Amino acid sequence: MDAVPAIRVVDLRKSFGALEVLRGVSFDVHRGSVVSMIGASGSGKSTLLRCINRLERPSAGEVFIDGEPMGGPVTASGERKERPLKDINRMRRDLGMVFQQFNLWPHMTVIGNVIEAPLRVRRMSRKDAIQLAEECLARVHLSEKGKEYPARLSGGQMQRVAIARALAMQPKAMLFDEPTSSLDPELTDEVLTVMRELAADGTTMIVVTHEMAFARDASDRVLFLHNGQIEEEGPPDQVFGQPRSERCRQFLSKKLQ
Amino acid sequence: MSNWERLVWNQRGLLLQGLAVTVEICAIAFAMAIVGGLVLCLVRLHVRPLRPAAIALIEFFRATPIFVQLMWVNYVWPELFGWPNSFFTSGWVALGLQSSGYLAETFRAGIEAVPKGHREAGYSVGMSPFQVYRRIVLPETLLTVAPSIVNQFTVIVKSSTLVSVITVPDLMLQAMKLVNIWYEPIEVLTATAAIYIGVVFLVSTAGKALADFQRRRFGLNAT
Repeated sequence: MDAVPAIRVVDLRKSFGALEVLRGVSFDVHRGSVVSMIGASGSGKSTLLRCINRLERPSAGEVFIDGEPMGGPVTASGERKERPLKDINRMRRDLGMVFQQFNLWPHMTVIGNVIEAPLRVRRMSRKDAIQLAEECLARVHLSEKGKEYPARLSGGQMQRVAIARALAMQPKAMLFDEPTSSLDPELTDEVLTVMRELAADGTTMIVVTHEMAFARDASDRVLFLHNGQIEEEGPPDQVFGQPRSERCRQFLSKKLQ
Repeated sequence: MSNWERLVWNQRGLLLQGLAVTVEICAIAFAMAIVGGLVLCLVRLHVRPLRPAAIALIEFFRATPIFVQLMWVNYVWPELFGWPNSFFTSGWVALGLQSSGYLAETFRAGIEAVPKGHREAGYSVGMSPFQVYRRIVLPETLLTVAPSIVNQFTVIVKSSTLVSVITVPDLMLQAMKLVNIWYEPIEVLTATAAIYIGVVFLVSTAGKALADFQRRRFGLNAT
């Protein structure tokens, strides 16, 4: 295992007003490993993911991407200055995000969605961007849909395009925020299949999910979040087989019924 | 020779000249309203120190009669700012200002209707706020508000009849000239109304067709 984790989260806290959603979360994600985050709704899983790529600004704590802190340096007086947005944008490129609601841009074709960031952010040539997009679409088994608009796709196809869009930035890690929660059961599998393939290819992934089978079979580590803290963590065999925490056991017994 | 022929058909040159002026003044006012509306809306949403000023302007333009605005722009502005220096300019400025106020609110509604997740998807791939706005928020907004924009153009066309009171030689002014020659208003005014109906119908049909074409192209439901 390499010394510098791809993502290191240290004592991350987030409050919305008086509501403390994350209460000190720390963990490492090593290159090529898949971490699944499970837990009841409201346990802070999605907020944690959004804090990692700074769609939410953490109240305290730090996230390191390849050893580089996302928050600004601490000044002599002990205050932390937020990094300029430009820096955050640069670091966000390294984290591909897949949302529960897909969030494809409806006025762009599938290929348009995928090449947008390589063109505008990486400033690739159109030819290279299209070639890259075609590779990414092939990875999600949608090579033939490049010219379609998102509204003409099924939910599962839209989510796979969203995955391709994130992959096109060649990120160091992929963040999945309940990627199958708004899909019909029969469409869930096609997305999970793609995710399993990515995992098998050695993609570093953090997956917030309610799909216990995926968490058990496809991840290297499972984190169980409860009330904004990691209540249980370990390899899937341990978390699913012999959970130490009573709450985790209750949660799993309900989920696996 | 029927009245229609004598009062309308034989005077068609004058009426068409008027129509040309109407179309021109409306087109300029419309362009100004889109730019002005967008600027007012963006200032209102994103430039905090100027927000109260933008809201005040939007409300002022929307709440005051177009007639009064015309008078102000035509008679008071030249005293205050030395501009506008022609009736025609005063006409499109006043029309454009009022519609800016309306369109600013239309744009705001459209921008706020863009799902937050669509922006976040942009940020998450490293796009800057400006890129997100230009590439995602504004195109999606235009798609949503296109029917309201077309509607606003028809409002401009009808409000433009008022520029005749500051002697801009538009269709209405030419019609009134004809009325004042023979004092036989019914045929002339009816024909004038028919021309306005034709223009509004043409614009709204073309606008709707264009908007629907775009939406269908994207696989969305037509409006």
